[in-house]
Amino acid sequence: MTRNIFFFFIFLFVNPYFGFSQQERMSNKEADQVRAKIIERSKSTNTIVSDFVQTKHLDFLSNDIKSTGKLFFKSPDLIKWEYKTPFNYSVVFKNDKLFINDDGDKSKIDLGSNKTFKSLNSLIIKSVKGDMFDDKQFAIQFFLNSDNYIIQFTPKDAALQSFIHDFILLFDRQTLEVVEIKMMENTEDYTKIRFIGQKINKEVDDSVFSN
Amino acid sequence: MIRFFQISILLLFVSCSLPTTKGYLERSVSKKNIENNYFSNEKTDYIYKAKIEIYNKKFSGLLIIKKTGVDQHRIVFTTEFGNKIFDFVITNGVFKVNYVLDELNKKIILKTLQDDFYILVKQLSKVDNQFDSAKEIVYQTKYNKNYDLYYFFLKENNQLFKIVKSSKQKEKVTFDLYDFNNDICTKIDIIHQNFKLKIHLNYIGN
Repeated sequence: MTRNIFFFFIFLFVNPYFGFSQQERMSNKEADQVRAKIIERSKSTNTIVSDFVQTKHLDFLSNDIKSTGKLFFKSPDLIKWEYKTPFNYSVVFKNDKLFINDDGDKSKIDLGSNKTFKSLNSLIIKSVKGDMFDDKQFAIQFFLNSDNYIIQFTPKDAALQSFIHDFILLFDRQTLEVVEIKMMENTEDYTKIRFIGQKINKEVDDSVFSN
Repeated sequence: MIRFFQISILLLFVSCSLPTTKGYLERSVSKKNIENNYFSNEKTDYIYKAKIEIYNKKFSGLLIIKKTGVDQHRIVFTTEFGNKIFDFVITNGVFKVNYVLDELNKKIILKTLQDDFYILVKQLSKVDNQFDSAKEIVYQTKYNKNYDLYYFFLKENNQLFKIVKSSKQKEKVTFDLYDFNNDICTKIDIIHQNFKLKIHLNYIGN
């Protein structure tokens, strides 16, 4: 018995992936099946409306920075993030442009010239849908725990990686919806967006995306 | 007569050249250092909603200031999504860039931001001259081998409410500080007169 406990603790300390979250790596076969299921699911996702809670963790801060808001997505590429607390700020991604409404102060950013921002924004759109499986662009690793598939996308492009080290998407194993997006800047600092009360394929009027 | 006007106009310009301390009388210096305690608590995360306009580009996001050591501050500007735009550390006046977005990675921009943030967070500055009015006190400190002067404006109750950076001839940068909540300044505007940079900060707490 003592021996078993000893091995159990060794196991916990040696491999953080298998620690308290009970997260384990999927086999290649499992990973291929999950990938196919998620892609299939994302094809039938035409709209998403969801509340979100964003947590920004910077290692040097005493507390994480929390903000909340609402996400609207309409296929193929309309997306709006609307922050409500602790500030009013919304941004619409449309035709390679960002339309910003910063508490009434409106502006527009053309992403055409900024490769990193452009790919970042296209990734955010893809991540919301869960459709990020591009092996040319990412090294992709698959894990799971009792509730979620956990898929880690590590950019291969150095410029993008200096911006975001890894994207980690959490999918609900039952519904295959994206429940959390985690953008790791480095090993310590990250931004985590948790979706709450997602409504899939509810009608969303185009006027939502005029900011 | 024309010559008289020329001299008068010249005199007018000279006497009005630095309005910073106009209406104040020079006094003997009453204290060694001026204290700015708005960013001095190591336990506080100073988080501001920020708008920064550089040349004609607008950046909006969160400006995060944290005292991380006796004479050290970390200053990070991120988008609302959390992606870093810049990440600086100032230690004893020495500036280190951990990260800066390519678009802002220009010597003149970094130097200007460095000077602005340095004076904004610097807790103690040596007083070289002092000026008083009925309701306000102005402390002047020399900086950058005396080429630049900083003026700290305090109310009667010792509340720091304005900082002006000037050369010997003209004002260069104004820091307006308003809406104070305990030791926190909740609204800050940094405006440059000879460089296209404006920084607006609104405290959102944490």
